[in-house]
Amino acid sequence: MTQSSPIATVAVLDDDADLAQSIARLLIRHGHHTAAFCAPELLLAAHTASPFACIVSDIQMGEIDGFSFAEDLRRHDPGVAFVFMTAWPTTAHAVDAVRRHGGLDYLEKPIAEPRLAAAVLEGLAWSLRERRIQAVSASFTRREREVYELLVLGHSNKEIADRLAISIRTVEDHRAAIVTKTRTNGLAQLVALSRGEA
Amino acid sequence: MTPWLMVTELAADLATGTLPLSDLTLLGDALGVCRPALGCGIAVAGAQWIARRASGPLTLPPMPFGMAAVAGPALNALLVLPMEVLLPRSALPHNIMADIVISLTGLAVGDLLGVLVLAPALLWVADAISQPRMPRRASVAVRALFEDLLVMAACLLLTHLLWRAGLGVQPMPMLLAGAWIGLRRGRTSAWFAILIEMLLFLPYSAGNLTDDARLELHLGIAAVVLVTWLAGSFADAQATAKKQLERRNRMLFQAERLKTLRGMSVAVIHEISQPLSTLAIEAAHLRDVTSGLGPDIVQSVELVDRKAQILAELVRTLRRFGGRAGAETTILSVGVLMEAARQIVAPELRAQSCRLALIDPSPDLMVEAQEIELTQALVNLLRNAIAASPHKSVRLRAKRSGNCVEINVTNVLDEIRLAGDMGMSTRSGMGIGLIIVRTIVEAHGGTLIRDDMGDLARFVISLPLAGPLP
Repeated sequence: MTQSSPIATVAVLDDDADLAQSIARLLIRHGHHTAAFCAPELLLAAHTASPFACIVSDIQMGEIDGFSFAEDLRRHDPGVAFVFMTAWPTTAHAVDAVRRHGGLDYLEKPIAEPRLAAAVLEGLAWSLRERRIQAVSASFTRREREVYELLVLGHSNKEIADRLAISIRTVEDHRAAIVTKTRTNGLAQLVALSRGEA
Repeated sequence: MTPWLMVTELAADLATGTLPLSDLTLLGDALGVCRPALGCGIAVAGAQWIARRASGPLTLPPMPFGMAAVAGPALNALLVLPMEVLLPRSALPHNIMADIVISLTGLAVGDLLGVLVLAPALLWVADAISQPRMPRRASVAVRALFEDLLVMAACLLLTHLLWRAGLGVQPMPMLLAGAWIGLRRGRTSAWFAILIEMLLFLPYSAGNLTDDARLELHLGIAAVVLVTWLAGSFADAQATAKKQLERRNRMLFQAERLKTLRGMSVAVIHEISQPLSTLAIEAAHLRDVTSGLGPDIVQSVELVDRKAQILAELVRTLRRFGGRAGAETTILSVGVLMEAARQIVAPELRAQSCRLALIDPSPDLMVEAQEIELTQALVNLLRNAIAASPHKSVRLRAKRSGNCVEINVTNVLDEIRLAGDMGMSTRSGMGIGLIIVRTIVEAHGGTLIRDDMGDLARFVISLPLAGPLP
């Protein structure tokens, strides 16, 4: 599966172009493919052409703030990971950043290098998993997705049938379709797939 | 205090024999004795009532005292009449209105003068005893004294001229003098002015005068004394009000300046941290790539890097002091937080048939925190632990460790999951729940570490303890 996916790229977004470049070069030294942007529109254009896996974004950036930018982008592409950084840290922001806006970390400027590196690694891994899960479930019908979600939680065919108010026979049919579509072999592989561990 | 005063007066009069026990008019006389105390009590209560209800210069010390001092004797005199009417004494042969009125005004003036002359002096003595301090140097401005004396002399001269012109003794000019001195100098000067007025007029009023002239004079003196004392009290109250206003203005100015300063420092910290971020990253990079070059270059670069790191640390520290804005924090008991978290996860505990052992911490463990956030952090840790060890038990406990409190969440590691974790160890293993916990805890100035012991998974939240509640 790895060979078919493009190389995971990190984008750095900060309205201070020098800082964006500096962080991008730092991440390149850490072995990541990285691009720097100083305006959200530029990043968005590049993302449409070739999606990024992880975005390191400033929060306060003139007319558009990092949070609403992240929300906009997530609506089109839920598989992109965000790491936020700010020069105006507040407790409320910090919690919002991870809870409401799905950021993987919230970094205070001046940036602590090891923490940035760890957050980016985590973001890339998270994005990879999310994209795989999306790829798997994209081909399912609505019913198949429901069956699949209950299956990977460890429910038996009988329990699934009771819950969805369908016959065991129908559950088995759905299950067969799921296995065919995902080209997996048995429940263990399905569970691994649901965790993005193909 | 009024009843005590009445009893004291009664006892004193009985002891000295002023109040004859054998007399039939005992009740009336006793009431007469009690009357001044009653009048003064009502006046004082009235003044206090006004001081509590109203606002403005009238309520500021010494204005209430001034009002009480003036109203007390007046009330006392007014009370005489109804009492006399209610309890007609056996012997009142010459029941003439004028007589009563004259004696009443005499009484009022006497009381008024007595209260106003004696009370301030007594209060000053009491003050001096209760708060012994360095005797203030007599800072009476000679010019002010001269001016006051001049005004007084001029008014006296006017009175004298009026008297010489055959118009009788008119206290009106003295009223002007009293008001002038009281308003300009305050109570102390007013007191001396009253003293002088009294010494000048009383001997005269005791002299040979017709009834109506004496009545007029008494009323005049009463008016003069009243106006003088009230003017003095009012001037002092005004001065107090002005002082308070000035102090408040100064405080307001100070607060405004601090606010500006805070805003400025936050802005400066922000402006510095932006370029400093770049500087620190590049300095660290330079240090890494130049390590093989000549010792001189290495030394310079290391110095630059170290200074950049120091500055970065400084900015972070400064931010904790001045820049922390946003949600309010309160002083919370760790025990209460743990209990709140336990209640939230109770349904999940039942669903997983998992037990939670909550070890009650000592109640003096307090942290300064945002309650909802910190509870959420605990709940997240508990949820992870419950999900990881169904049918087993999770332990939540807190203990003091130096200046910090350590909150532990411990659960038995599932063997299968343990194996799974080993297999996935390349994935840097914090779930989204843990990231939230870490963010919250760090925002509270604490740390989150994973500290496993054998087959026990253990997460430790360390938070700085808050000082004891005020």
